[in-house]
Amino acid sequence: MIQLEHLTKEYNGVRAVDDLTTAIPDGEIFGLLGPNGAGKSTTILMLVGLIEPTEGRCLINGLDVARDPITVRKQIGYMPEDVGFYPTLTAAENLTYFGRLYSMDEKILTGKITGLLEQVGLEGVTKTVGGYSKGMRQRLGLAKALLNNPSVIILDEPTANLDPQGVADYRRIIRDVAKNGTTVVVSSHILEEISKVSTSVGILAAGRLVAQGSWQDLAGGLTDRSALQITIRVETLDPMPPIAHPDIVSAEYDRDRCEAVIVARSDIRDAVASTLAGQGIRLRGLAREGRSLEETFLSYYQVAG
Amino acid sequence: MKMAASRLMTIAKKEFFDHIRSRKFLLIFGILLVVAIVGMIGGIADYNKNVDDYNKHQSTIDSPLSSYMPEKPSILSVFSAVATYLVFVGGILGIAMGFDLVSKEKESKSLKILLSHPVYRDEVINGKALGGIAAVGCALLIVLVIALATLLVYGIVPDGNELILILIFGLVSFLLIFSYFAVALFLSTALDESGSALIYTMIIFIALSALVPTLANNTVTEFVIGSQPELPQELVDQMQQSANSSEVAGVTVTFSNKGNNVNNGAWDAFTEKMQAYWEKRQMVHDTLALFSPTMNYESVTTAITKEYSGTAMVLGGSGSTSVVSSFNVASGEDAGIDGILATITANLIALLLFPAAFFGLAYLWFMRLDVR
Repeated sequence: MIQLEHLTKEYNGVRAVDDLTTAIPDGEIFGLLGPNGAGKSTTILMLVGLIEPTEGRCLINGLDVARDPITVRKQIGYMPEDVGFYPTLTAAENLTYFGRLYSMDEKILTGKITGLLEQVGLEGVTKTVGGYSKGMRQRLGLAKALLNNPSVIILDEPTANLDPQGVADYRRIIRDVAKNGTTVVVSSHILEEISKVSTSVGILAAGRLVAQGSWQDLAGGLTDRSALQITIRVETLDPMPPIAHPDIVSAEYDRDRCEAVIVARSDIRDAVASTLAGQGIRLRGLAREGRSLEETFLSYYQVAG
Repeated sequence: MKMAASRLMTIAKKEFFDHIRSRKFLLIFGILLVVAIVGMIGGIADYNKNVDDYNKHQSTIDSPLSSYMPEKPSILSVFSAVATYLVFVGGILGIAMGFDLVSKEKESKSLKILLSHPVYRDEVINGKALGGIAAVGCALLIVLVIALATLLVYGIVPDGNELILILIFGLVSFLLIFSYFAVALFLSTALDESGSALIYTMIIFIALSALVPTLANNTVTEFVIGSQPELPQELVDQMQQSANSSEVAGVTVTFSNKGNNVNNGAWDAFTEKMQAYWEKRQMVHDTLALFSPTMNYESVTTAITKEYSGTAMVLGGSGSTSVVSSFNVASGEDAGIDGILATITANLIALLLFPAAFFGLAYLWFMRLDVR
């Protein structure tokens, strides 16, 4: 469980994070979404205890990060955006060093490292980290974040340098750990990345949390800014019957062309298809138009900005 | 507590092995070894020659022509040449070990990862210092062991007191290297780039090794205490007239004018003024020297190896005085370990305080370091 209470951070009088309050339950994959400079990294640095909040506090599993950083850090796994390791050491040596800082038993640590390197696709790589590509370093970063069996994992732009296979591996690993009750916070400015992996999302803009909830909640709350336009074409000689659905904002029926254009708060195409099928009307086309998901979320940033 | 010690030792151990495996450390350590061995061999040759001269002089001690009584050469004089090299190479070694200790981690972004672990910041900076100290200690221990082995190979066996002095020599050499290591560590903590840290540390090294000694010997002392007293014209005239003018040889200084036809009262007044001037000058010099690890190191090693240090006056042909070289007010007697320790206590304390101050600054800076 992660709780942020009125979390605020100022740099030279400028608020990078402004009065952030939220709670992330156990087992959630929480996507922290926002454009560059929105305050995502600053929020994460406060969560990890690398910088102190100007006001407010972060609680992880009920512990104040600023007051009890050692206990908190034992429970978290963190991967920063530009993940850095000791270039003269191998992946296993780097992980061994960090594992010792967790005071892990040497035998358990060795076994854990072997398993993690296999999991992230770095098994058998014997060269030192100095010779790694950015993607390999990011894979190692993910392994490091999982090293201490954390109850909270915090990942800052975790797929920035990964190849498609790496991204797929990362998503699989993250979903697996979340299934076991681990809370995951993923920060990214890439909407697709957040949408593919997270179970809930918080939108950060200009240091403020402008929206938070499940994808459905957020889409529901978007109203006109996020309205979807659904074009329905049917095969019928009769006038097209009106379609009823609570998410419909407006509907225009062109009876001559057997076509309807519906503006809805959510993607109701399945409901439309079922209704028409129930009335024995064959569909010729059912297309969703309007703003893309990215455009929709962009409107949040614009409103906040 | 046990956990904290374990984390500290984990960091220190990594730092230690990073140092001793790094090319720059091995390269400079190799140079240090070579110059130490070369210095030892040269020093041993000089020592043997001095022992021969001493023995020869002993055999002619009853001669009425013998008015000069040389001191018995000390084994420690062998270390004099080593100290000459060590003061430079040791400083460079300390800088090489410290200049990128924190900045490299900032550059490689590993500091953020490291500090996200269950470690306190003071454990990180203390661990880094401890690892550095251990590496410097090992390097010097090897140098000392090789130096002692070289002595034994040449059939020179130090006695107990000499061994103690050799250990003190090792200790001050360690403090010298650690001093510049601490300066480099501080700048590595304060600056974001290793290149900048190296340049600024080198500037400080040059300032403390070359600029401060120059200022201490000339500019500042002249500014603080004024120029030295001139020999009164009356005495100059008398000395020129005197057939038996003052004899100046080497660094031997004599203000004695017995047997000369000069005005005793005027001469005594002049020597008194001159003595007071040089005492003041020495005080200013010694005070400034305390701020330079290089000068402190030279003072201590000079005292240990019984070289002549300080500032000597020589009466020139015209009767004017001029600074010619370092000197030590040689008592002509062996001061013993207690005497040497009394002479070097201030320098030793300064050599302890200097790295402590810079390490303290590095510590404070690191504790408040903005990790973004």
